[in-house]
Amino acid sequence: MRAEVLKGHLDALLLATLTAGPRHGYAIKEALRAGSGGRFDLPTGTVYPALHRLERAGLIRGSWSTVNGRRRRNYELTAAGRRALGEERSSWQEFSAAVTALLGDAPWPAQA
Amino acid sequence: MSRAQHQPVGRDAAADYLAVVTAQLTGPTSARAAIIDELRDGLLAALEVHQARRGSPQEAMRAAIEEFGDPQAVAAAFAPELGAVQARRVALGLLVTGPLVGLTWITAVAVNALPPWQQQLTGPWLALPLVGLALALACPALGLTVAATGRLGRRLGGRVGGRASFPLSAAAVAGLAAVVADLTLLTIIAAHALTAPGSSMWVPVVLAVAASLTRVTLAGRAARRCLATRANLT
Repeated sequence: MRAEVLKGHLDALLLATLTAGPRHGYAIKEALRAGSGGRFDLPTGTVYPALHRLERAGLIRGSWSTVNGRRRRNYELTAAGRRALGEERSSWQEFSAAVTALLGDAPWPAQA
Repeated sequence: MSRAQHQPVGRDAAADYLAVVTAQLTGPTSARAAIIDELRDGLLAALEVHQARRGSPQEAMRAAIEEFGDPQAVAAAFAPELGAVQARRVALGLLVTGPLVGLTWITAVAVNALPPWQQQLTGPWLALPLVGLALALACPALGLTVAATGRLGRRLGGRVGGRASFPLSAAAVAGLAAVVADLTLLTIIAAHALTAPGSSMWVPVVLAVAASLTRVTLAGRAARRCLATRANLT
């Protein structure tokens, strides 16, 4: 699936990958890929700037650790991030229900 | 010989990839170094994953680099974030140093009972309102920079304050306003020293002049860098 398709949803998807606990950038990218059954296989390099943007917005918190002698930045959800994710989930459920109603197999316009 | 056979392999290829990203990044040195450290860890983590799948280190590194994508695109994607970091640092620096520089001037004016202390604007001191004008421009610019580069930035979204170039423009305006304020004060005190020489307490004046000279240099350089980074965004 193309990266442009995800535009507008990437932030919520990145936040969702952190609900299970802290992850580093590549692990987040892999969680996106695995969680979508391989459909969301973004260029890894573009995931990192998005994480920096979310950190600046206060939705995730980054911290450095050392793994195998190299510096690693791990990210975790903040309280604001959890709230934002909850709002994004509600919004998505409303949106997807509306789109499903319109694009489903039922005759259009959808009958009550 | 194919292009693939020319490509360096293993950690050399990772270093080459990161060198391309490094060359394209602009912004504060520490922020750039942190980005490269993070990308290096990601590349090596990807290498480990692909090596477990494919076995060959050469194939694994090629796959990892391919997975990361075009290094120039990666650097370009970081540009707005680095710009925000740069603008925020400039704004916070001006917010911290502004009151300190102001305090040195108020002290110099007060201990020497200079015209503004006697609520008189005469001679070169007639230019003092220009300092007020510069501060009136700098303060909102600093507030907007801090807001746009912090948590509020996300809420601003695609609006004016949410554009990547906006914080850099606002920080540059604030920096240039600080330069105008300092140069005005320096000109006033130089003119005052020439036209009304007297038995002044020079230590506070020298401190104020030194503070303003330092800030003129630093704020001017910061404003130029913000404008240069802004130019790279567009």
